[in-house]
Amino acid sequence: MLSIKNLTASINGTPVLKGIDLEIRAGEIHAIMGPNGSGKSTLGKVLAGHPSYEVTGGEVLFEGKNLFEMEADARARAGIFMGFQHPIEVPGVSNASFLRLAYNKKAEAEGRDELDPLEFDDFIHGKIKVVAMRSEFLDRSLNEGFSGGEKKRNEILQMAVLEPKLAILDELDSGLDIDALRVLGDAVNTLQRADRALLIITHFPRILEIIQPQFVHVLSGGRILKSSGKELALELEERGYDWVLAEAAAGGAR
Amino acid sequence: MTSAVASNLLSDLLSGPRPAEWEKLREEAEARLARRDLPTTSDEDWKYTDLKALAGITFGPAPKATVDISGHLLPEMVGTRQVFVNGHHAPHASCASAVAAGVRFLPLSTASEACHALGMVGPTHNQSPFEDLNTARFEDGAVLLVPKNMKVALPLHLLFITKAETPIAVFPRLMVVLERGAELELVEEHHGKGTYLTCPVVEIRLAEGAILHHERVQRDSDEAFHLGTLKAEVAKGGQYHSRTLSFGARLSRQQPWVRLAEGAEATLDGLALLDGAQVADTHSFMLHAEPHASSHQLHKCIVDGHARAIFNGQVLVAPKAQGTDAKQQSRNLLLSETARVDTKPQLEIYADDVKCSHGATVGALDPEELFYLQSRGLNADDARNLLTYGFAADVLTHIPVASLRRTLRQLVMARTQAASLGDFA
Repeated sequence: MLSIKNLTASINGTPVLKGIDLEIRAGEIHAIMGPNGSGKSTLGKVLAGHPSYEVTGGEVLFEGKNLFEMEADARARAGIFMGFQHPIEVPGVSNASFLRLAYNKKAEAEGRDELDPLEFDDFIHGKIKVVAMRSEFLDRSLNEGFSGGEKKRNEILQMAVLEPKLAILDELDSGLDIDALRVLGDAVNTLQRADRALLIITHFPRILEIIQPQFVHVLSGGRILKSSGKELALELEERGYDWVLAEAAAGGAR
Repeated sequence: MTSAVASNLLSDLLSGPRPAEWEKLREEAEARLARRDLPTTSDEDWKYTDLKALAGITFGPAPKATVDISGHLLPEMVGTRQVFVNGHHAPHASCASAVAAGVRFLPLSTASEACHALGMVGPTHNQSPFEDLNTARFEDGAVLLVPKNMKVALPLHLLFITKAETPIAVFPRLMVVLERGAELELVEEHHGKGTYLTCPVVEIRLAEGAILHHERVQRDSDEAFHLGTLKAEVAKGGQYHSRTLSFGARLSRQQPWVRLAEGAEATLDGLALLDGAQVADTHSFMLHAEPHASSHQLHKCIVDGHARAIFNGQVLVAPKAQGTDAKQQSRNLLLSETARVDTKPQLEIYADDVKCSHGATVGALDPEELFYLQSRGLNADDARNLLTYGFAADVLTHIPVASLRRTLRQLVMARTQAASLGDFA
């Protein structure tokens, strides 16, 4: 589904990604872990099409198509979703209106029927149950005045509405207490399907006990230093990141 | 320096006969006007608002006229409306049958008991020439009196409509008095066609614990000049909450002045949507005269074309006004390279135990916000239009009259190209 080859990217002329290779197939769950400043959030933003990052080399194919020939909105309509670490507040636009607009733009792109407000109301009430959101949050302005946890809940609601093929979840666990993390982790698991892939970006292994990945990659200094199965997450929980960095340094010196 | 062109405007406007009643008030205003001239951009207070275009037009007296108001009716207020056309009361367009018993909502010309109170709100110096012009020449206006402890259920609707076949000057007047513990919602709208100068003056007196919600909608014609004055005195524990929405007029200026007594509260929110060569100026003055009062100002402008917005927000905290809580925000969105905003907070604080904050932002849409919406599948144009709409609609969210809220949202949608996104309101 997603094939990343020797991807390099920079922001304001400073290289952040220095050669990433990664293959993600439908139905797989991958975790990208790494210390702060390792470039893991950058990877998510580059894949989603953030305009501040410049892709300086390599290629990314999404279902065989060159990702970098698509703007951010075209990538979204093609089936890429990024759950933001810091979702943006949009005052004056109700959450429900926004969700319906986003849903209909995607439906239009896929040649499906758009939903009118009444039809959407039924649809969305089914979805908010998945993330255990109270319906009053639909009438409030998009993310405005939402707590950190409520914003993350709203990100997963958007994922449930947009039904992406590839969901990139950037630091879903930041700002969440353990109960909220459990609810949203379970929601993501409920949404997981054989034709959907997940890329979980996280600093802490905690979330990976709930959303269990088949593949764990350690990113540092803009490169993937180590890739392994989910047991790597447990090892990182116990030993931190330093040993991976040391091992890589030793490997590089060899 | 004075300019001959400017002098003519004031004297021309005063050349007609002085209307009956309020003799002393009118004489005083005339005397002040005789000593002064139209402000120019060399006056600090008018630095960014050039009245030259105004000075070049000869405005005649406003004749009585009839208008079709069916497009302006709001279902919540069909029986609680007073309509003034060209400054004259329009009895056939008005309908006050549903106004609660005890509330006096009348043309000023038939409410002589309000005579003594007129012109008494606010400082008796520093009047703008447009306020004085109004005082010297207003023909009629509305008076609204709510008795003690009465909580008025239905909102009241006040329509000032101007119909100008040739350039005319109109002087709408409004006097609002809420007695102790009274509560009211008031919608004040200004509409018009043609070239005209309108100088509304609104005086508000809220007694102890009285609460007024005041929605002000300025939808004057694209050729109009709107130079308005509002003065409100809020007694102990009273609340004055207003929202001024400026859509029309070639040039508009709002000068709200609010005095807060002990524990009083005020909201002065504003939204201006400007395009073409429009100019909209707000010069506000919030006086914290006594302890423990709070004020909140959110002023937003969306400026496109080569339009210009000006905001000057003065807050004065008197020495004895300890425990003051004053917030002021000026937020401006520029949609073109040639649009311009001048914003200036002006805080004077003479008490030491106060919470005062102010902030001003001027800029284009935030790229992070655009990216967020694009990452949900909205193309760049839709994302921009949605954010622009939201920026403005934010000010409309809490308008209590549903039909007005809906109408204004649709207006904002049309003006921000958000209509292409489907029905939001």
